[in-house]
Amino acid sequence: MYTDPILRVEGLRTHFYTFAGVVKAVDGVGLYVNSGETLGLVGESGSGKTVTAQSIMRIVPTPGKIVDGTIEFKGKDLLGLTEAEMRRIRGKEIAYVPQDPTTTLDPVYTVGDQLTEVIMKHQHVSKRYALNKATELLRSVDIADPHIRINQYPHELSGGTKQRIAIARALSCEPSLILADEPTTALDVTIQAQILDLLKALKEKFNIAMVLITHDMGIVADTCDRVTVFYAGQVCETGTTEQVFETPKHPYTEALLSSVPSLALRRQKLSVIPGNVPNLIQPPSGCRFHPRCSYARQICIDKDPELESIGDGRLVHCHRWKELDLKSAVAS
Amino acid sequence: MTTTLSPKKRESSRGVSQWALAWRRLKKNKVAIAGLGVVGLFALFAAFDGWPFVLTRNDHGLFAIYPPECIPPACAGGSLSTNAPPSLSHPFGTDSYGYDVYSEIVYGTRAAFVIGLGATGFALAIAVLIGLAAGYFGGWLDNLLMRLTEVFLVIPFFLLLLVFLQIIIKFSPSATGGLWLVVFIIGAFSWPGAARIIRGEVLRVREFEYIAASRQIGASANRILFRHLFPNVLHIIIVLATLQIAASVLTEAAVSFLGFGAPNSYTWGQLMNIAASYINQAWWAITFPAVFLTLFVMGFNLLGNGLRDALDPRLRE
Repeated sequence: MYTDPILRVEGLRTHFYTFAGVVKAVDGVGLYVNSGETLGLVGESGSGKTVTAQSIMRIVPTPGKIVDGTIEFKGKDLLGLTEAEMRRIRGKEIAYVPQDPTTTLDPVYTVGDQLTEVIMKHQHVSKRYALNKATELLRSVDIADPHIRINQYPHELSGGTKQRIAIARALSCEPSLILADEPTTALDVTIQAQILDLLKALKEKFNIAMVLITHDMGIVADTCDRVTVFYAGQVCETGTTEQVFETPKHPYTEALLSSVPSLALRRQKLSVIPGNVPNLIQPPSGCRFHPRCSYARQICIDKDPELESIGDGRLVHCHRWKELDLKSAVAS
Repeated sequence: MTTTLSPKKRESSRGVSQWALAWRRLKKNKVAIAGLGVVGLFALFAAFDGWPFVLTRNDHGLFAIYPPECIPPACAGGSLSTNAPPSLSHPFGTDSYGYDVYSEIVYGTRAAFVIGLGATGFALAIAVLIGLAAGYFGGWLDNLLMRLTEVFLVIPFFLLLLVFLQIIIKFSPSATGGLWLVVFIIGAFSWPGAARIIRGEVLRVREFEYIAASRQIGASANRILFRHLFPNVLHIIIVLATLQIAASVLTEAAVSFLGFGAPNSYTWGQLMNIAASYINQAWWAITFPAVFLTLFVMGFNLLGNGLRDALDPRLRE
């Protein structure tokens, strides 16, 4: 079907057992990442993008639990590994770039301490070697004066620099997959562009696969090779960025694309998707998007559609994709 | 003038840690520095015999320090006046046995450090382990540890302390263990409040992204607990320790003053207990230990409050 994906997730279900009930944050997610490519995960807040990424690394916070599914990374089933085996994968094989750079570095240690911690955890090298490597890493993420930065504490650095250091930390053991969870949300626009350019350049240079979580369609168009659209803990569709942007196959993608602000449509009212994100404790029956979907039929209320492969590596999660002729608001 | 520039340059390339920043804030707080000064003076006082009056001489040559096991008439020197008022040879007078009150206070200071540091070390070791484990692991362990803590909190600790000591003195007339026993019991009942505060701080700190980040790089639970959580809650432990030292010494003084203390120990409480019966003949024998106790407790409390202001991350600019 698809050629040698480095990561394949199938039927992933991660539920949170809260006092209010079981929150089905991720409910049957399937996706794959080919080596060296960037996969964008897009969707509204609370659609399960971050929980999916946390599930891949098996760091879902309590009271969350992975209840079902398979996560296959380089042919290994990650859910079958012991915690100790998993710790050897985290940071070494799969690295994580977190959302908020302001608190991602431990305030009591210097930048050098935090980088050498990862390097020495996963590689048997001396402190001196690790420090040299750390300086090297800082240089590779375009930080000026790395020999000064290495001895500084996080509170002495700016948000953009901290995010660069977080990226340096993610790169430190040459991982084959980086999970970047909205790496630019907390930064201002100019720094955002710099960080994205940096991620793109590093990805090319080291040939790393990347999962980029975002809710910004502009970032997706700019950085991602393929996109997986999330809605309410499920996947709506997967395809190359071009495919999804030009010929969306899921009504939610169509609605999402039409609500992207555009300079060309200056005097028009921005279209919105009616309704709200569903409550994930008691999600709607059948297809979770049906209450907000303008194409919904009886079958959508009764039956949850399959995540169907429709060729060209595309997956669609909709009963009616064949009959619908969806338009893209951003297609050129 | 390159020589004057170089130290500054070196500082900027080294980075300023949170602790250095806290010290800078503490230095600005005059009251806290006064507290630190008092604590420092007490430490010197305990460390050196007769300091600061080493130059004061009496009939026996150098300044008189009577070791607690030496009953004055039995010791060399002979004529000792009981209940003598403060004078040049006895700056704080003598008590009903003829002991030099100043010397007794020096021994009392040493005992105070033993009590303060011992009981606090013991109490905080328990509190840190319970607080870290309960706060980090959560779930049933948190529930279990916190209920246990609450059980200890509702026990009327002071009464229990008196009962324990009385039983031990009854069954072991020589009061084996002596002061250390008191230290142990005070420590064993002083941890619950600190454990709860540390747990609360752990709950706050563990939500920070850097704790999640250390899991993301494959750190083990032990490493996260002791390398990342512990240093980040250390600020509150330092404050708790400073205040606990004062509280422990005060507790021991109260117990001893009531006559339940370790019989053969020289603590300020014991001195006051003995001198209380002679308050009409020798006011100095009870007043000076009380003044030193007050200063000691006040010094640690002022320092503790200053440390809290300097270390609290929520008050940082």
